[in-house]
Amino acid sequence: MKSRTADTLVIGGGIIGAAAGYYLAQRGQKVVLLERDFPCSGSTGRCIGGIRAQFTHDLSIRVMLESVRLFSGLEAELGRGVDWFQGGYLFLAFDEARKQAFLEAIGIQRRYGLKVDFVSPADCGRIVPGLNSEGLLGGAYCATDGQADPFKVTYGYLAGIRRLGGEVLVGTEVDRVNARSGRVVSVRTRAGDEFFAPNVLNAAGSWADEIGRMAGVDVPVKADRHESLVTEAAERLFDPMLVDYRADGCYFVQHIGTGHFIGCYTPVALVPGRRVDSSGEFLTEMPRRMVRLVPRLAGLKVLRQWAGSYEMSPDGNPLCGRTPVAGFYVAAGMSGHGFMFGPAIGRLMAELIDCGKTSLPLDQFALDRDFGRAEALK
Amino acid sequence: MRSRRKSRKQGEPTAVTVICRCEEVTEQEVRQAIRDGHHTLEQVKRVLRTGMGHCQGRGCLRIIARMIEEETGIPAAEQKLPTPRPPLKPLPLGLLGEYREEQDG
Repeated sequence: MKSRTADTLVIGGGIIGAAAGYYLAQRGQKVVLLERDFPCSGSTGRCIGGIRAQFTHDLSIRVMLESVRLFSGLEAELGRGVDWFQGGYLFLAFDEARKQAFLEAIGIQRRYGLKVDFVSPADCGRIVPGLNSEGLLGGAYCATDGQADPFKVTYGYLAGIRRLGGEVLVGTEVDRVNARSGRVVSVRTRAGDEFFAPNVLNAAGSWADEIGRMAGVDVPVKADRHESLVTEAAERLFDPMLVDYRADGCYFVQHIGTGHFIGCYTPVALVPGRRVDSSGEFLTEMPRRMVRLVPRLAGLKVLRQWAGSYEMSPDGNPLCGRTPVAGFYVAAGMSGHGFMFGPAIGRLMAELIDCGKTSLPLDQFALDRDFGRAEALK
Repeated sequence: MRSRRKSRKQGEPTAVTVICRCEEVTEQEVRQAIRDGHHTLEQVKRVLRTGMGHCQGRGCLRIIARMIEEETGIPAAEQKLPTPRPPLKPLPLGLLGEYREEQDG
């Protein structure tokens, strides 16, 4: 049986663990990242890659402004392409209540310096040529929102960890977290290896509750199944992520690198659990919704459908920070926004773990907060 | 509607063997990915998009499985295939949506 030591052990090879591990390694820490299966095998590799600062929670807006800044410099930072593209996000309003909610959100977002506007139906049509504007009252549009490729970003961070002297171990499932006198000491893997470190970061996404339990820490995340599909590639038709929040709405974007359209909708009746099977309902309902919004897409062929988990926290905001066990940290519960939050959350967690303080106050994402304040722009 | 991912001059032959025609992935790229530690079809797919195009891997998966066997010794017959993804054969959005309308109508 071998033993290894690190400054910080990161559990989870999705975007959160990869980014946190990278920024820790950049600060000079010896990082060992333990991934149960292979990188991006959980939620990150199943997400559609949207990135936006249009939220209503002030800390989410501030974290996302930082994330957008980091995404903007990521290709230079990681030395590889990540298909980062600021094509914007357009949230459509088809009723007065939704329009008012967007106007209120825009008011909050502008306080933090986000350039976002409520644009007319005619402007929506200019931003998305071919948009069906029947019943449309306008849209909340932010041109600096965008997209990137989740695989390229995550693999880029992981390569960075290795370049900076850290290790990324795949097929390495943690089955025990050892603490002594209220302080984390080591983790053990299913293969029986023990890794010792003064800091352990639980970035296990949908499995963060299980990892938490191993340390005696309650991490309230619950997985919901969300389905997606991707079409064949097309010539560039429009730039932004189009979001329709109606009960029978959907959201989709054209991938800048490949030209595929990729999208999802949130089912009205949630499908709880970590299952990632696909449904025939989605395969027919999603196309109907996409074609209703942009009729000219009707001839485009669907290549694949799949599903992934949203790892939901009780209020839809991330769970980030310390836990009652000293040295045991959590960054999970990203509630469907892990990829976009990833760079900034990773960097903030690295600050917290490495020097005990963060450049943005993370209290509102703390594990022991009051969960009464839900995010409106889910 | 399709766009080519990588442009190549018309009529110019190359010595490069293309393994995945849909996504235009070469033998060299696949070998490099395997040597970089991606030892399953699922992982090679994640880094190179092999099997994610029009044919959904019908053309390339067996060849890549053999290459993984050559590079790692893991027998091709013992390798797990990536999860098959509906609709298996590409179908137009309009057709799928109409089917739904009829079901509801």
